[in-house]
Amino acid sequence: MTRAFAVTLNATGLYALALVLAAAFAAQLLLHELPCPLCLLQRLQFTVLAIGPILNIRWGPRPSHYALSLLAAAIGMAYSTRQVLLHIMPGDAGYGTALLGYHYYTLALIGFAAAIVLLAAILLFDRQFEPDGATPPVANAFARAAVWLVIGLTALNVVSTLLECGFGACAENPVVYELLKGGS
Amino acid sequence: MEFTVLFLAVTVVMLVAWRGPRSLALTLFAAVLFASVATYLHHATDALKLSF
Repeated sequence: MTRAFAVTLNATGLYALALVLAAAFAAQLLLHELPCPLCLLQRLQFTVLAIGPILNIRWGPRPSHYALSLLAAAIGMAYSTRQVLLHIMPGDAGYGTALLGYHYYTLALIGFAAAIVLLAAILLFDRQFEPDGATPPVANAFARAAVWLVIGLTALNVVSTLLECGFGACAENPVVYELLKGGS
Repeated sequence: MEFTVLFLAVTVVMLVAWRGPRSLALTLFAAVLFASVATYLHHATDALKLSF
């Protein structure tokens, strides 16, 4: 695997993360379901997971950048596992709407597990780490767009959480946007 | 509010990773990861509301 191909794969990974963040927003806005604190933490870990690929696109692929993503995915997996276990009792309806038969935290658990497997798989290819004279590589438009898309979606979460939680601690079971409550 | 700060921090780390020095990006990444785990441990003590 060449460095250029590894950078393209990293950019593709960023698009996949952008899809996850956009889907979370779509569920929040279309189904009017506000994410709980544990749900927000999982969403946060998906954004933290994106930092490794951004570094790979900017500085070229390095094992340490993949290690950052592995750490983020492992912690995200711990968060989603906890939420799955909170709702594992028979008769528990779970939190939020099920999508494709799975609740969001179950899908997040699958997503983090898949990220760990894919990161381990891409680490198998040593040639991407060999210098090719173009260090750091110049990111193409495909990669640059992926980076700005993920940064934009993360920034939208800043606005969304401010509207949802207001200036105090986030509610355990949020049902209204704290900052919009006064106007409705 | 804590999540607004966390998402803002991640946005800053992303911008530093994309435009700034690598060592600063790595340091900020560690700080954000620590803050994320600290927030998780804080909310882990929330009362569990069973939905059945």
